[in-house]
Amino acid sequence: MIELENVSKQFGAQLAVDRLSVQVPAGEIYGLLGRNGAGKSTAIGMMLGQVWPTSGNLRVCGHCVLSERHLALRKVGAIFESPAFYDYLSGYRNLQILSAYTARTDARRIREVVDWVGLGSRAHSKVRTYSHGMRARLALAQALLPNPELLILDEPSDGLDPEGIHEMRLTILRLHRELGLTILLSSHLLNEVEQLCTRICVLNQGAKIFEGNLAETRRNGKWVRLKTTDWDQATRQLAEQGLISTHRERRLVALADGVDIPRIVRALVASGMEVHEITPEEESLETFYLNLMDRGGAASTHPTSSPSPSS
Amino acid sequence: MFCQHLTNELWKLFGKKRTYIGFGAFLLAQNAMLLAFRFTRWKSDLERMLDGNGYLAQDYVSSLTVAVIMLIPQVILLLPLYTALVGGDLVAKEAEDGTLRMILARPVSRFRLLLVKWLAGLIFSAALVAVLGGTALLFASFWFPWKGMFVFAPGMVFNVLSAGDGLRLYICSQLFITVNASIILALAFMFSCFNMKPAAATILALSYLFVNLVMEGIPFFERFQDFLLPHHFRMWLLIYSQPTPWARIAESFCVLVAFNLTAFLIGAAAFQVRDIKS
Repeated sequence: MIELENVSKQFGAQLAVDRLSVQVPAGEIYGLLGRNGAGKSTAIGMMLGQVWPTSGNLRVCGHCVLSERHLALRKVGAIFESPAFYDYLSGYRNLQILSAYTARTDARRIREVVDWVGLGSRAHSKVRTYSHGMRARLALAQALLPNPELLILDEPSDGLDPEGIHEMRLTILRLHRELGLTILLSSHLLNEVEQLCTRICVLNQGAKIFEGNLAETRRNGKWVRLKTTDWDQATRQLAEQGLISTHRERRLVALADGVDIPRIVRALVASGMEVHEITPEEESLETFYLNLMDRGGAASTHPTSSPSPSS
Repeated sequence: MFCQHLTNELWKLFGKKRTYIGFGAFLLAQNAMLLAFRFTRWKSDLERMLDGNGYLAQDYVSSLTVAVIMLIPQVILLLPLYTALVGGDLVAKEAEDGTLRMILARPVSRFRLLLVKWLAGLIFSAALVAVLGGTALLFASFWFPWKGMFVFAPGMVFNVLSAGDGLRLYICSQLFITVNASIILALAFMFSCFNMKPAAATILALSYLFVNLVMEGIPFFERFQDFLLPHHFRMWLLIYSQPTPWARIAESFCVLVAFNLTAFLIGAAAFQVRDIKS
């Protein structure tokens, strides 16, 4: 649905996006992560033909964004952080104006979408009277009007209260489930990404430093969470038998090469110790992201000469 | 779809209050000038001038005469200000507010978007001038009778006309004032297509006009007056000359239309290569 191939963007001396290659298949909820200024919004701007790439190829919905923008964006809806509207006009008029830039949209379709997002009777009020949550609904409505196949969401929960964030999350899932939309989500909210996305791409200083399934981010090498009657004795014995390489936080052990969990359990039971819990440690996206940023931050100091540790 | 886009653009333009600042300012200025004309020496000076030239002042101090007298300073001072204000807003304000990014997430070409905005700007110019001319005549007719018309602009026009001819030329002059207004609007519009704040676009357009005005007043630049906008802006007054200098008016008209198109194309080219970011 989205294909970026070695796309770069330079603003003066600053390299905002560095040879970014991304593929978002149809039906996916794809997360774009990174610090402020990592190049996420620039990458989205290039996908929408708002920012001209310095080099590289971009295709959206099978069409080149640079030469066939009108075809590429025909079935695309987008929501940006702090969505802007004509505050002095009604929500309904805003929808009429914005949707007309895609195609002629009849009143029935606008009413249908207005009802779908739950704007209902307030659609005819001026946008300046809307709460932040209502503006978010209006933003969603304008994105849905062209009957999109692809939805690009740039920080859609920005500025929303916790209930609003929760509601936005449910709406995104509903859009994916009920309408089968492909969704590209750029967000700072890691738990949001964790709950929504099937695949993520992490950017740092314009370069991709990770791309993979969310499950891959949860794998944590050889770390295993262990609860026994005597932590000190258990780790000492396991280390002496060469079954673990190290341990930390009095709850995690790192398995030695070729060692699996049943072997640990057998060794502990044979030593007369009770095993209350033993399970592979899953890393949260937050821990994964922060570790990645620590590594990536150092690596991307010289991004052109360092290989990116993508999966 | 083009008509739909234009209609939407007009909704956006005429839906916001600041578009009407110019209309309000004109109404205030016209009434203030009418009071000044009625109750100061302004009127007696005009009567003396007419009498001195062998005309009966009472036949020519009319609503048409006063309407034109009111228009001269307003066309020079207020019209550029308010058309530049709206022209500077057309693209730059949308970019500043973020609505431009919302629009350009849709499959509309940048050129079409600008073309629609430029046309909406021309319609605004025509509406502003129509209101300016209409209200000037309306308010003047409350205080002064409907009689012959006297038009005087130093070094350009000195003419007396019957009420019928005067009205015909008055309407005709509104068309040329519309062209003037559209030039200033197009100039501000052109600057607003670059990456700058709306106020900066307005100020640049007014500065360009001001520099033209100053240069025109310097004797050295007399030979270059064909390149200066104020020289061509005066065609609306030349329409009242006897005989009418049609060749000179046509030349100015062509120069102004070409200037307008050039400003649009420069703006469109700048906008086309611009990156639109939040």
